Amino acid sequence: MANDGSGEMKTRTFVVTRFDPDKDQVPKTQSYQVSCRPEWKVLDALNFIKDEIDPTLSHRWSCRMAVCGSCGMNVNGAPKLTCKTSLSEYGDTVEVAPLANFPVIRDLVIEMDGFMEKFKAVKPWIIVAKEKAVDEGTNRQSPAQLAEFKQFSMCINCMLCYAACPVVAKEPDFLGPAAIALGHRYNMDSRDEGAAQRNEIFRGEGTVFSCSYANECSEVCPKNVDPAAAVNQAKLNSVIDWATSFVVKREK
Amino acid sequence: MARPSDPHAMTPRKPGSTRTAPPTVPDDFWTRPRMLTYLLFDATGIVYLLVGLVALRVAWALGSGRAAWDALMQSFASPGYLIFHAIALVSALFVGVRFFRLFPKAQPAHIGPAKPPPPAVLQAMLYVAWIGITIVLLAVLGGVWP
Amino acid sequence: MAVEVYRHDVIVVGGGAAGLRAAIAAVEADPKVSVAMVSKVYPMRSHTVSAEGGAAAYVPGSEDSLEKHLYDTVKGSDFLADQDCAEYFVEQATAELTRLEHWGCPWSRNEDGSVATRPFGGMTVPRTWYAADKVGFHMLHALFQHSMRFDRIVRYDENFVTRLLVDDGACRGVVAIDIRSGAMRLFLGRAVILATGGAGKCFPFTTNGTIKTGDGMALAYRAGVGLKDMEFLQYHPTGLPGTGILITEASRGEGGYVINAKGERFLTEEHVKATGNDYGVGKKAELGPRDMISRAEILEIEAGRGLKGPYGEYVLLDLRHLGEAKIMAKLPFVRELAKTYIGVDPVHEPIPIRPVVHYMMGGVDTDIRGATPMPGLYAAGETACVSMNGANRLGSNSLTECLVFGARAGVESVAFSKSSADGNEARLRGEAETEGARIDTLRGRKKGGEKMSVIRHEMQLTMERGCGVYRKQDSMNQAVAEIAPLKGRYADLVLEDTSKVFNTEVLQALELGNMLDVAETIAIAAAARRESRGAHACRDYPTRNDAEFLHHSMMFFTPAGPRLEKKAVTITRFQPEERKY
Repeated sequence: MANDGSGEMKTRTFVVTRFDPDKDQVPKTQSYQVSCRPEWKVLDALNFIKDEIDPTLSHRWSCRMAVCGSCGMNVNGAPKLTCKTSLSEYGDTVEVAPLANFPVIRDLVIEMDGFMEKFKAVKPWIIVAKEKAVDEGTNRQSPAQLAEFKQFSMCINCMLCYAACPVVAKEPDFLGPAAIALGHRYNMDSRDEGAAQRNEIFRGEGTVFSCSYANECSEVCPKNVDPAAAVNQAKLNSVIDWATSFVVKREK
Repeated sequence: MARPSDPHAMTPRKPGSTRTAPPTVPDDFWTRPRMLTYLLFDATGIVYLLVGLVALRVAWALGSGRAAWDALMQSFASPGYLIFHAIALVSALFVGVRFFRLFPKAQPAHIGPAKPPPPAVLQAMLYVAWIGITIVLLAVLGGVWP
Repeated sequence: MAVEVYRHDVIVVGGGAAGLRAAIAAVEADPKVSVAMVSKVYPMRSHTVSAEGGAAAYVPGSEDSLEKHLYDTVKGSDFLADQDCAEYFVEQATAELTRLEHWGCPWSRNEDGSVATRPFGGMTVPRTWYAADKVGFHMLHALFQHSMRFDRIVRYDENFVTRLLVDDGACRGVVAIDIRSGAMRLFLGRAVILATGGAGKCFPFTTNGTIKTGDGMALAYRAGVGLKDMEFLQYHPTGLPGTGILITEASRGEGGYVINAKGERFLTEEHVKATGNDYGVGKKAELGPRDMISRAEILEIEAGRGLKGPYGEYVLLDLRHLGEAKIMAKLPFVRELAKTYIGVDPVHEPIPIRPVVHYMMGGVDTDIRGATPMPGLYAAGETACVSMNGANRLGSNSLTECLVFGARAGVESVAFSKSSADGNEARLRGEAETEGARIDTLRGRKKGGEKMSVIRHEMQLTMERGCGVYRKQDSMNQAVAEIAPLKGRYADLVLEDTSKVFNTEVLQALELGNMLDVAETIAIAAAARRESRGAHACRDYPTRNDAEFLHHSMMFFTPAGPRLEKKAVTITRFQPEERKY
């Protein structure tokens, strides 16, 4: 087995971004020497730094199994889930910075409320004209119908896609990959009837058409959600929806 | 170290309770290979703009009589135009290949009851259509067919 | 620093499955009620997200019945569950999972479009609804996204509650730190619901994430509410050695084998016949209850039939015979986890596994309504001990439990809030300011001789030695003896980070204090239970002793030290019998 601890320890230099708004005008970096176990992820090294070297380092993490989405950071310039990224991929120096494209609260901790606003803006819940009663039982949904949106429901909200997206870097109103993928997930769910509302949001201020298919979001996604697919499918769907809205009268 | 993103990138409407450092991207964000490819892809828009202007020029010459037309066709043999058309061809190939690669996953899950063909088949269809139309156009313009 | 004041009707502490369900139930119960959801993390980071296997409920029209689900649960609890509460649970389970389906949860389906179920440990009939092998993730996201429809659920994300406020005998609010700014916040309300999860991080090897530090349990305990059945800790039989990462029970539900170093399936009846080593699981083999399988693994390891690794000894979970197609359809996350975190592809190699701490059956003493004995204070989910899980929980019951009792606590808290009064705001504000001063003194307190990571590590080792899968009276007594000086050393902690903004060091210190309080109650309750029942396996008293120990243990905080009491078990339908499978 690979992680049997039989590899070599390796000392690496971690160049970590530090920022305390009460003390620092702008972010700076601080270097730490860490003797790393062979099976460690980047997060293990950060926790070692906090526990043993510098308790003033602030970073977010929780599950350490790549499902809670807390620990996204930029490592050597690329957005990574630090609990899933092996140090063996890196050489002697590892630069750890907060996630790109986000305002920074402290050290490696970024401001998440901008994301939460975009997230809520796409109405990520089941919209139906008439709520189903519990005693009517569950909706029928075939495995094929489930497969149509399943992939887009796998997003752990780690926001690596926002750190990778060139449009997010330049257009603050853009809804962004994860939010659009989530809206698209509901549009594709056979139980939902809210596609018209969401497509209007997709054509609105945060428009999906700002996306020019860089595909960076899908390249960095640790869960293979393929948000680029969602955004570009959403483009076509929102156009079709716009066109049919002239033909088919619908309620708001 | 880092370059600034838009100062309002991912910034909430309601300001938070503490001062934040502005959003940035890493120094090499715009120069990494994949990003450069993407920027080049978007930059080919300029090539199409110029191709469009040249097309207008051709249409103008078409309506201006035989002499104007012959003069224009002569000028197309110049090094400048040859280089331009070579760039346009390379751009079209580059964009075509990249676009075809990304095309399958932009397909909707279904339109009505119809599902799209699997990605490899879809790409093959696109290439066949591309090459086929090119051959037909060359044949027609070259006077070979019909 | 001035205290910021927020007023709501109901305050929910914790944003996981139970907390979110409680908040939704509260606003649905009354269109005018305002609910504060105060969580130390953004809700989608709650540890519910890591649950993998499934959620149990009777499927109408199947061969299952409420009675069978109740019996399985009560038997699984080794007859320590309060049967009226367990009965309420099984009655509500289907409705809750159906409701969640209406709210978008992507349950896996049969070909005909109905919800699929899978077999699970200790369940006589398959009744575990699932969503591939990421049920907790899908349930949490469905709940969180659904909760966003309600403007009257006001979220205070990344706010860490440090104290419950009690006025005139009732709970009237909480004090919390705004993690981002370090400001102290006073949340005034008529009812408080604790839904902060368990305390697996008291142990070195656990499936739990770093946020599971028993905060809600410690808050209630210090406010004078009893902690019930703390000695009962569930060890999940299939965790990865070292990291403790969970490999779901569903991998056994789908047909996986548990084998020793010799490649033998030591849980099967054939093996029992061949060797005489009977681990009590009978025909159920790998689908026996978690406590029995964990003990079987430890015994195999002690008998020299385990494998040795850098993080201790382990046995194996073999999925190879399931084939790649089935693994990718039913257990894709398991494959990803094994490859990423232990370098093994389960399609080709068996996965190293060992028992790791997973769930706490014990917790804040609540009744069938989710209410604690303190008026205005409720609890739900892993934080609470109703008790419906007794001495051992069946897999896939706890996610449903979060929904059932989260909903009940939400509804009950709203009803209570109509009849109760506000606390004395001036007095509560004073308490909040005192608390703020305490935190300010703790933050960046450079004088001190003890390092946090050392105390945390020693606490974890103490608990592992004293309260493992198998316990001995003297090692439990030793754990009790070791905790008190650890608490003394905790008072001498040195902290370096003086910043107020997003100071995670002071949060870790507060969490460590919570864990020490909870660990103390676990050790004392364990040492006092001189029998073996469910997950509490004492080598000195290897059998169950209903005559003397058919009761819940209750731990109460006193300034002089913890006080242990007993509480009766409610037995309605099923008289205790021998627990054999």
